[in-house]
Amino acid sequence: MRKFPNKRIKPLSHLSKTLIWVWILFSMMPIFFMITTSLKDTEVARQMPPKWLFIPKIQNFLSVLFGGEGYSQGFDRLMLNSIIVTLSSTILCLFVAFPAALALSQPKFRKREFLSSWILSTYMFPPIVAIIPIFIFAGKIQALDTYQVLAIPYAAFNLPIVIWILKSSIEQIPKEIEEATRVDGANGWHYVSKILFPLTVPALATGAILSSILSWNDFLFALALTRSVAKTAPVGIQEFTGMYGTDWGSLSAASVTIIAPVLIISVIVRKRIVSGLTFGAVK
Amino acid sequence: MKNEMIDLVDASAASSLELARRNSEPTLPNNKKSRNGIYWVQMSPALIILLLMTIAPAIFLVRKSLTNDSLLNSNSNFVGLDNYQAILTDASLLNSARVTATFVGIVVLLEMVAGLFFAQLLHKKSRSNSVAGALLIIPFAVAPAVSAMVFRELLNPNYGWVNYFMGLVGLPDKIDWLGNSTTAWIALIGLDVWQWTPFVTLILIAGMSSLPAEPLEAAAVDGANSWQIFRHISFRLLAPFIGIALVLRTIQAFKTFDSFLILTGGGPGDSTSPINLEIYRVALQSFRVGYASAMAIILLITISVLTPILLRILRRATQNEEV
Repeated sequence: MRKFPNKRIKPLSHLSKTLIWVWILFSMMPIFFMITTSLKDTEVARQMPPKWLFIPKIQNFLSVLFGGEGYSQGFDRLMLNSIIVTLSSTILCLFVAFPAALALSQPKFRKREFLSSWILSTYMFPPIVAIIPIFIFAGKIQALDTYQVLAIPYAAFNLPIVIWILKSSIEQIPKEIEEATRVDGANGWHYVSKILFPLTVPALATGAILSSILSWNDFLFALALTRSVAKTAPVGIQEFTGMYGTDWGSLSAASVTIIAPVLIISVIVRKRIVSGLTFGAVK
Repeated sequence: MKNEMIDLVDASAASSLELARRNSEPTLPNNKKSRNGIYWVQMSPALIILLLMTIAPAIFLVRKSLTNDSLLNSNSNFVGLDNYQAILTDASLLNSARVTATFVGIVVLLEMVAGLFFAQLLHKKSRSNSVAGALLIIPFAVAPAVSAMVFRELLNPNYGWVNYFMGLVGLPDKIDWLGNSTTAWIALIGLDVWQWTPFVTLILIAGMSSLPAEPLEAAAVDGANSWQIFRHISFRLLAPFIGIALVLRTIQAFKTFDSFLILTGGGPGDSTSPINLEIYRVALQSFRVGYASAMAIILLITISVLTPILLRILRRATQNEEV
């Protein structure tokens, strides 16, 4: 009985399978373009039709990473800035999110429903709206173009996601475990540090990864709030397009350098990333 | 939003009272009030940061929006609601509202439809599907600023690969993609669909692989074809996941900024200039803080009307999943 309908839809399902692989290969095109261009000489990169067979050179990567003259900041410095801002905002975010998630997962905490909702609703707050006051305030206290002026807003805007990831992980720990430790005479601190914390490590890792990726990829805050000292890599690559046209080789090498770490991590832990970005709703 | 703000102020006042009480009394380990005090202490760093980055800016903007402040000169005058009045008759703001609404509507719809289609085909566990899943995450791991740069290069009228490939298959190959508003829109939508359809697909794949197998098998045994199964069973069971994807993509699409600035720069003319870009330009390029603040407040009000609706869908979906 099941064979008949299945047979009839087979050609259709082959067609859609083909369609999907065409789409997937098609969507790899920009990545393929970026990687091949980053390995080409500038003259070869401009050739039309594109040269498919060429001798790969790492010259672009070397010049981008070690000899960035002519730009307001060397690309090596931009990468360093990105790393510093990403790490500090992620650490700040986790330190703030963990105790908050702990409180929000306690059934005895009367305001927890309301606070959870409110925190979730701040995810909808548009960054562009926060930028005007931050820009003016940071200008007044001479904090523009510093690491802090990026790290703190990044931490804030990643907080809702990270708190929700941690909260949903803590809520999954069976209540019996806590009760058992209570019976054994352990205090609350002992329970949190020896039992709850180790069980939340995977969620903390997910939170750290997501917060890092979102800070690393940000463009708007870095564009508005930094000029040169604390400028990050995604803003810096805009300078490869200048008065003399676009330096494709350097631009692509810089782009590959920016996306490589995120790409590798995302492919490895993609289920966690999807789960985290949906506030833990998708397991 | 307003009510929530007031509640929050009450709550924090209550918490400091509670803290004061806690300090004056000898605490008992199981005293309910003191326990809630501890929770407020644990919450406070997060609440302070979030208040500083959301409510405080909102209050600041409301005050600024009633002035004609500019960063270029120091005199600041109270102008009442003049800014708001000017905005409501400002053709460029009306245009940017239309751009934002059109963009959000089109990309979310396309991504949901494409995402559902791909997820339906890729959710069965097999080696080729897991390869596809790994490849799918790639576009959305690329920093939006980088992908916009790369798309701009690909669409270059002289050296771009897009025109080259279109020429290869016999299509017009001299298109100035970003020089014409229709093609600039296609480019923007194409970039967003390229970048975010995988996210929708992966959410829905996760949803589909968590569905119970029995109803689907029963329907198949009863002779339902795959469209009927999808329409009457999978789609219904998937509703929470579709809800999550829809809400998250709507929120993210509203925030889109990088691709507009880098790929089209809002142009040609202001045909692709959304509200975000408009606010950015008035505030940080013309430095008309008063006017930009009023624009930001109008955006905030619009979003706070949408927020409860989106939030309800999202909360219902997350709760369903937690059971």
